Amino acid sequence: MLFRPDSADFRLILLYTARVVFGIGLAMAVPLAVALAHGESADAWSFVLAGSIGVTVGRLAEMTLQTRRQLDASHALASVAMSWLTAPVIAGIPLFMSGHYASFLDAYFEGMSGFATIGLTLANDLDHMTRSVNFWRHFMQFIGGQGIVVIVLTAFSSGAGRLGTLYSGEGREDVILPNIVRTARFIWRVALIYGVIGTGLLWITVTLAGLSPLNALYHAGNLFMAAFDTGGFATQSTSVAFYRSQLVEGVLMVIMTAGAFSFALHYQLWQGRREELLRNTETRTVFTSTLVLLSIMVIGLVRTGTFDQFYPLYRHALFNAISAHTTTGLSTVPGRLFVTDWGALAPAVLVAAMGIGGMAGSTAGGIKGIRIGLVLKGLKGDVRRVLLPEDAVVVETYHAQSRQILTSPQVRDAALFLLLWLGLYLSGALMGLFYGYPLEEALFESVAAASSGGLSVGLARPDLEAPLKITYILQMVVGRLEFISIFALAGYLTSAVRGRV
Amino acid sequence: MSSGTPTSRPVFLAYVALALLVVTVLIGMAELLRQDHGPTSPLTPAVEGEVDYLRQEVVCPLAEGREGEEREAVLIDPELTPEVNSNQLYDCPQTWDGRRIRYSGEVVGALLPRKDAVWAQLNDDVYAESGAPLPTHRDFRGGNAGIGVLLAPDMAAAVNWIGGPAKHGDVMEVIGRFQRVDNATGEVAIIRAEQAQVVRDGRAVEIPVSRARPIIAVLAALMATVMTVAERRARRRR
Repeated sequence: MLFRPDSADFRLILLYTARVVFGIGLAMAVPLAVALAHGESADAWSFVLAGSIGVTVGRLAEMTLQTRRQLDASHALASVAMSWLTAPVIAGIPLFMSGHYASFLDAYFEGMSGFATIGLTLANDLDHMTRSVNFWRHFMQFIGGQGIVVIVLTAFSSGAGRLGTLYSGEGREDVILPNIVRTARFIWRVALIYGVIGTGLLWITVTLAGLSPLNALYHAGNLFMAAFDTGGFATQSTSVAFYRSQLVEGVLMVIMTAGAFSFALHYQLWQGRREELLRNTETRTVFTSTLVLLSIMVIGLVRTGTFDQFYPLYRHALFNAISAHTTTGLSTVPGRLFVTDWGALAPAVLVAAMGIGGMAGSTAGGIKGIRIGLVLKGLKGDVRRVLLPEDAVVVETYHAQSRQILTSPQVRDAALFLLLWLGLYLSGALMGLFYGYPLEEALFESVAAASSGGLSVGLARPDLEAPLKITYILQMVVGRLEFISIFALAGYLTSAVRGRV
Repeated sequence: MSSGTPTSRPVFLAYVALALLVVTVLIGMAELLRQDHGPTSPLTPAVEGEVDYLRQEVVCPLAEGREGEEREAVLIDPELTPEVNSNQLYDCPQTWDGRRIRYSGEVVGALLPRKDAVWAQLNDDVYAESGAPLPTHRDFRGGNAGIGVLLAPDMAAAVNWIGGPAKHGDVMEVIGRFQRVDNATGEVAIIRAEQAQVVRDGRAVEIPVSRARPIIAVLAALMATVMTVAERRARRRR
């Protein structure tokens, strides 16, 4: 039975949403500075306008929506979903006003793609886009990759104890340190340290690739945000192929892999527990899956005759497999060639890699290695139970910071999420088929949108049908928040309309 | 959830309608403040009956060579230099592999010098060809399309304008061999130029701005400041 929420419930949800909008408004000071530095006055005014709207909304909400009601789990989950649906509205204003998006829906799509670190783009004429707007696309990935709600709320809220549900509502499971504020600060510290090192290395390699040092710094900063946050936007329409540099690709592969590691694993490594890298069930699952999928991809590419020499084969297969598995979406190959020159097996591997994704509690999307690992271990346990005598006790274990016994509810939860993910992938593919696109392309793009994989065969383009754009937007947010928050918001809306008094 | 008086359905729906109205106003304002120009542009008219390569199978003169199939040899006279665009090259890479072709496009991004050559990205989309990059107009024709070209240093030296923000790059015509996979550099889908010339000089472009944008932005900033001060005072009173 559904109970209709009262005004205090809605005030609380809107208050937390407005705080996120406030944070997004403040974040626009960074692209504003980039616009001023490059003399892009038109875009500077756009950022002033949109940022001011964000701040006004935030402050107005603080004055009018205060309530004594305490934040509970349902409020928190609904707030997270509302925040993720609202943030791209504010973020989309400067994008739309830049003149590179045909409609506000396209700018909203881009905003969602940025925050959810998807990497699909609807920008028209990207190669002539101003620096500040292009930077904002990448900066959204940086904000979204860490988790916009948690980051904003831990910066501007006092009640840290009540933020735990907000944290898990954003698709995060591991609370690394005793409280959320410390965990969020640790996440920021990791991102900033990798940021300094990664941007530095990319700056050097991009400069060696032939760009002037200042230009290279701009590219390096954006590339880092796209790679570490497994986002996949690029400053040029040709993505990583623009640099024609294996050095750049090498550094990016390391950064993408680091981005796909859970922050809990980063913490373990930070503490000097390097053996966790080899013991952790999720790391082993993702590593094994990458190796298996890469091998299948190589077989496919060799059979198709796409490459006849080892050097280009390993270079492109390795980069694109890692990019897909970490759900980044940067590419060394024009997307159209996946369909016209890579045969059927290699693109299917990319779809599988994007679908599986990276590690839980990382910036990566997809089903996640831990769920695949737990389901496989559960399956192994069932097979052992069948083969062993009836009175034999079969215990399966997994390793996540320490050795733990695998329980049936854990396997059931993992299997349930696996089913939800497959359903999400299928729904987008069916919509693509409905609009007349071939199965291969419809499935590729659907998985790219839902898993945050971001590699594209060209279907996500500015003249894509509006219902398909909306479908992909929904897939992006549902995939990024891992279902529950969206279900909670849908529950709130349903109970507001149909609930009993 | 709820322990107070539940929100009535009409009140809830009224708030939803109000929220949608606010979003509509925001979008309307952004639309009005985009640029001071209409939808007309100097772009070429849209091509009628163009193939939608994503929905329709593009027929390539040679077999695609899927798994297990033998690739046919290139039969077309290699001495002819047909003019091609990047879509044709990406649609049928095996058809054009190793063939001498003529291709033209705008130099964008940067020139990347190597030991004995220079990489250039040549875009042949409608924004490049017609000399009208966004946002100088509102005629949206999709993303960028182009191809990487390996130029000799003396060919690259002729380039003066590289396309980017508020800049339209030189349009360059090249004659060279299309390489589906270039084993020497490890790159895919590139042209090794044998001849190149700039056929149209680039230029700086002026981005038109709505004159109302700065005024509205300043007003919004003032409003944000007032709200911030008011909220601080209200918080102190609480």
